[in-house]
Amino acid sequence: MKRLLPFIVSIVLVALVVAFIYWPVEKIDYNTQVKPIFNKKCISCHGGVKQKAGFSLLFQEEALAKTESGKPAIIPGNPDESELIRRLLADDPEERMPYKHDALSKEEIEILTKWIKQGAEWGEHWAYLPVKEEEVPSIKNDWTKNEIDPFILAKLSDQKLTPSAEADKPTLLRRVSLDLTGLPPDEKMATKFLNDNSEKAYENLIDDLMASPRYGERWTALWMDVARYADTRGYEADRSRTIWKYRDWLIHAFNEDKPYDEFLMEQMAGDLMPNPDDDKYIATAFHRNTMTNDEGGTQNEEFRTAAVLDRVNTTWSALMGTSFNCVQCHSHPYDPFKHDEYYKFMAFFNNTRDEDTQSEFPLLRQYKGADSVKLLHLKDWLSTNVNHEKSDEYYKFLKTWQPTINSLQCDDFKNGALISSWYAGLRKDGSCRLPNVSLDKTNQLMFSYTSNFNGGTWSIYIDSLTGPLLKTVSLSKTEGHRENWRIVTTGIPTVSGRHNLYFKYSNPAVKTFDETAVLFEWFQFGEKFPGEGKAGFDVARKNFMELMHAEVQTTPILFENNKELFRSTNVFERGNWLVKGNEVTPEVPEIMNAMDPKAPKNRLGLALWMVDKKNPLVARTMANRLWEQLFGQGLIETLEDLGTQGIPPTHQELLDHLSWKFMNDFDWSIKKLLKEMVMSATYRQNSKTNEELQKIDPLNKFYARGPRIRLSAEQLRDQALAVSNSLSGKMYGKSVMPFQPEGIWRSPYNGDKWVMSQGEDQNRRALYTYWKRTAPYPTMITFDGGAREVCVTRRIRTNTPLQALTSLNDSTYFVMARNFAFKMQELDTKDVNNQIRKGYEHMMFKPITETKLNALLELYTKSLGTFTKNEKATIDIIGEKDTQPKPETAALVVVASAMLNLDEWVNKN
Amino acid sequence: MTQKELHNQRLLKEAEYKTLEHQTRRHFLKESAMGLGALALGSLFYSCDSKSPSLASFFDATNPLAPRPPMFPGKAKSVIYIHMAGAPSQLELFSYKPELAKLDGLDCPPSLLEGKKFAFIRGVPKMLGPQAKFSQHGKSGLWLSENLPHLSTVVDDMAILNAVTTDQFNHAPAQLLMHTGTPRLGRPSMGSWVTYGLGSENKNLPGFVVLTSGGNNPDAGKSVWGSGFLPSVYQGVQCRSEGDPVLFIKDPPGMDRDIRKASIDAINKINKEEYEEYKDPETLSRIAQYEMAYKMQISVPEVMNINDEPAYIHEMYGTKPGEANFANNVLLARKLVEKGVRFVQLFDWGWDTHGDSAGNAVDIGLINKCRKVDRPITALILDLKQRGLLDETLVIWGSEFGRTPMLENREGKKMPFKGRDHHAEAYSMWMAGGGIKGGTSYGETDEIGYSTVSGKVDAFDIQATILNQLGFDHEKFTFESQGRPFRLTDVSGKIIHQIIS
Repeated sequence: MKRLLPFIVSIVLVALVVAFIYWPVEKIDYNTQVKPIFNKKCISCHGGVKQKAGFSLLFQEEALAKTESGKPAIIPGNPDESELIRRLLADDPEERMPYKHDALSKEEIEILTKWIKQGAEWGEHWAYLPVKEEEVPSIKNDWTKNEIDPFILAKLSDQKLTPSAEADKPTLLRRVSLDLTGLPPDEKMATKFLNDNSEKAYENLIDDLMASPRYGERWTALWMDVARYADTRGYEADRSRTIWKYRDWLIHAFNEDKPYDEFLMEQMAGDLMPNPDDDKYIATAFHRNTMTNDEGGTQNEEFRTAAVLDRVNTTWSALMGTSFNCVQCHSHPYDPFKHDEYYKFMAFFNNTRDEDTQSEFPLLRQYKGADSVKLLHLKDWLSTNVNHEKSDEYYKFLKTWQPTINSLQCDDFKNGALISSWYAGLRKDGSCRLPNVSLDKTNQLMFSYTSNFNGGTWSIYIDSLTGPLLKTVSLSKTEGHRENWRIVTTGIPTVSGRHNLYFKYSNPAVKTFDETAVLFEWFQFGEKFPGEGKAGFDVARKNFMELMHAEVQTTPILFENNKELFRSTNVFERGNWLVKGNEVTPEVPEIMNAMDPKAPKNRLGLALWMVDKKNPLVARTMANRLWEQLFGQGLIETLEDLGTQGIPPTHQELLDHLSWKFMNDFDWSIKKLLKEMVMSATYRQNSKTNEELQKIDPLNKFYARGPRIRLSAEQLRDQALAVSNSLSGKMYGKSVMPFQPEGIWRSPYNGDKWVMSQGEDQNRRALYTYWKRTAPYPTMITFDGGAREVCVTRRIRTNTPLQALTSLNDSTYFVMARNFAFKMQELDTKDVNNQIRKGYEHMMFKPITETKLNALLELYTKSLGTFTKNEKATIDIIGEKDTQPKPETAALVVVASAMLNLDEWVNKN
Repeated sequence: MTQKELHNQRLLKEAEYKTLEHQTRRHFLKESAMGLGALALGSLFYSCDSKSPSLASFFDATNPLAPRPPMFPGKAKSVIYIHMAGAPSQLELFSYKPELAKLDGLDCPPSLLEGKKFAFIRGVPKMLGPQAKFSQHGKSGLWLSENLPHLSTVVDDMAILNAVTTDQFNHAPAQLLMHTGTPRLGRPSMGSWVTYGLGSENKNLPGFVVLTSGGNNPDAGKSVWGSGFLPSVYQGVQCRSEGDPVLFIKDPPGMDRDIRKASIDAINKINKEEYEEYKDPETLSRIAQYEMAYKMQISVPEVMNINDEPAYIHEMYGTKPGEANFANNVLLARKLVEKGVRFVQLFDWGWDTHGDSAGNAVDIGLINKCRKVDRPITALILDLKQRGLLDETLVIWGSEFGRTPMLENREGKKMPFKGRDHHAEAYSMWMAGGGIKGGTSYGETDEIGYSTVSGKVDAFDIQATILNQLGFDHEKFTFESQGRPFRLTDVSGKIIHQIIS
């Protein structure tokens, strides 16, 4: 023993030395320990909005820089010399920070002291660092089914919670069908799944659902919120807008599972992709869902700017989970974005042709029938007889009428005015100016105008009304389609450089000086139609002009300014668009991944940067959004803010794992990512909770049970239409107007009326319902839809009596109840017991319990008693369909209405 | 006989009716969910520098309208906000400008036009003198025009703001600024903020009711009573004085009350079983909401029915049951606050007096509009007062902006009638009741009513004052959205202490 002692002692000593060297010295983590203290206690005075005493904690270089006192407040490695720590500990209330607030706790001060001692290392918030491949936790058991589950199980184990068993087949069937297609399964799919006892039954069901065209409609409904899709323009008059082709583009994109990177690229910059076809242009309508203001007397530039700002804000909040709009007025209060970075980013968007015009230019022009053939012939003729470049240029021009200069750019009116703030209008002897027009290499003026008078003369002078005359053009009375606008060309002499052009209108036929005699719509200073002298020139030129006037289907699109029309971008001081600061060029924020130096500095380059796998936010935001759609809440609750002020993620590693797989393993396939989620054991759990679990995890943030969520407004309508056998399967096209009570639409200066659609258009899926921004379809709003004036990043679910009133009394719902009663009568012609049993199974795919059946039978009996005595009520309840109104039918309608109001029906279980 | 005398005479009659009134305020209060025991005490309030709790942790989805106490005891319990959409001319109503009369017909001096933008005025317009006579009224001697003879009798209850200013000169953005604190869309309206902060005192009625008249909704549409980023349950419920008072409040044809009751019983019985199986608290909430829906079907049409009001009340307000008009809406507003509705918002459309038609002329259409509102708004003040409700009901009357001292010359041309363009720099509003100092005039404009000289207030100041009267510190009353706390007053707002008693 004695001999062993020195040995033991030496072992202990060695162990102690080893321990001393390897003992983990507690390393303070900036993100999880320091930043939360700053955000909570310091940053409102020393951050993005205010920098009291010249000290800010937002960026490392600011925090370590000299303050107003002349020395830095933080000296890395030396807490004793750091003013920050001294001020936290000071006794004098005038000195002690946070000023006039409670002192920091001992623990908090200790964290900050240690952090400074350890070198005051800055760290980036996780969401601004690229997504990395996460290792799947090794935990596994009988419950886990795919890679999602170990992440969930690990957290559950930490909380000493256990997951729930799989939901029964009928429940799962209804849940996954509503989730993936927004509808209950059709009978074929349901029977197939319920009778299939193989291992693959559930996966086959998912594949069937994803192959259904209903899938695209369901996910389009979601994206319409993100894109703030509406069929009107917003603001005062809130006039109609024809943009439904974008909605149809979405349906196709989701159904064909367009990879998310392409999906975004086309919406952000389809117009700038090589040889854009109609679909690529239509995709850019994503950012033409911004509002335009038709109110008389508005400044077009103000509302053009508002639309551009909205594009910036939507791009960030909807696609990159960041509240970038804060940065509009000042540096971000909490997150590492600087004030001027907002405007550098805005510069990407500031060069589209749209200018708040009445016609919503630029528009994609889609030709019909013979005209589209004519267009192709013309394109060929130009290719053959001139060159490919000209052919492309003219093709593009006919498809978009761009580039042209809108007449609302005119100013300096004398005896004329910008009519309704859209069109340059001149009266007898009136004049105005079109500023800063590039005339290089131009020999032709093309323009669109309307006039009620023959004999007008339009003189165009260079640089002043007394300057050299560029051209005199005769203007006659215009008649024909498109509100008498006429497009005309006239040759002009070649002048070099940029000039202000002065217009003067004279006409002896116009007697008074009060009447507007001519309105201009747009101008194009360009070149004469090419190919003169070639065979077929006259026909080609004639066809060109005919196509310019052809009747077309239009959709607002993005179209980039050319060099001549380039707009510079400035910082807006304190966010005020009238107070312009420094000029800026397009740039992405420094904190994010850099742009590929080879990429163009325009929207296309921006789109490429967004879908670069190094972009930390795009994949995470979408994965989080899809998760929210299935589970009722995101892995980060604040879908719109993954930053430091968002609600911290419950399962950050899982989000990263899914985001990584989304980009890499799944090649941005939304279907694959959704399938991964719905295949997980986590998703398949039953959704029953209990009092104890409710206490520990009321919001189901740890996923110890399946999701139980009230259906969306769209799902509720579609489901009721489906179960009552009334759902129209018609896809695409103009938005429809199902029944709506009188008096909902009352926009001033707008004669638009809600005209009820006829036939099956009454019963289309909810996503096809006409969406008016200032007066949305009432049931959509009652069930938590947003007005879509700006993008709806997520809907917050509520539970209100108005919802009950809607599903009980709205005649749309009541008609569906009627049809459902008729359906139940078809399921069983005689016995009410069976009618209700079968009806319930038709709804829920499982047998009804006795208690529920009895409650409904009691209602039936009571109603029957009333209707037997009251023929008029019977007729009223049944409606016109039945020629021989039977009290039994009326009573069954009442029962059907009750069934369509059950909690289990308005929820997915 | 003035309105006031008329009214006093009829106070006696009122006493008789009172005994018959089965739903007095006190009675209704008992029915309501008010009472400290029922208060949800989870604080909604936290300052900007503290990290907010998650929405889910304080927004109780199962009972979002539970009454909640304000931050400090407020003088007002409810608000009636009367908005004249289109912008009435302050120069023909509240802002007495004898000097302007002298300039009538002269060219507008260029100094007033330099660097200014107008919605429609182009070039050099002419000045337009006041198109109404002004005189002093009440003990306070406030100036009011002949266009408001009834209102002139209650000036001692009113505080007039004569130097209200805005930076928006188009209707929709200016209305949004006034009601949501931003000229753009997407933020919650004042009524939504208040309902979010205080919940609803009456569990049978919505907390925030909107009534419109004049044939159109306000220019900014339903967004002026929208809930923005607040949960949609806080948006204004538009009640209509013709057709169903609330959408879908009426049972489908053929459905009698007994069957409706039986349906709700059946639904709730089944939902109870559902709850036993799933234990989802949302299910319990749904059961409660169906019960409330049933009660609302009775209480809403009842409160929205003005047929049973005594004849003298109809005479006082100038109401005509069955019509959709402003007077009816004013009377309804009184009935609603009496029953504990927190925020009643009235919009009356048709005040945009550009001079493009007789109806839009400051010397024709404006007078007709005044005739329709003068009597009911006066009646409202008197009626609230005699019911002891004026002290706790804040009444606000105003608009989105005012009108120019210049004659409008749209497109640089002479207009067919006398009209004024939109004017953002200076206009008038007034408040009464709810702790407001009566007989006050605050704020001055220059001799022609073009610019403010002193006591300038803007939408944020008015919002801050309204919140203050209700017991909220507008700087601390916030909601977390997109990662930061938002307030109604954004980054501005000063309480107008000068008009608070």
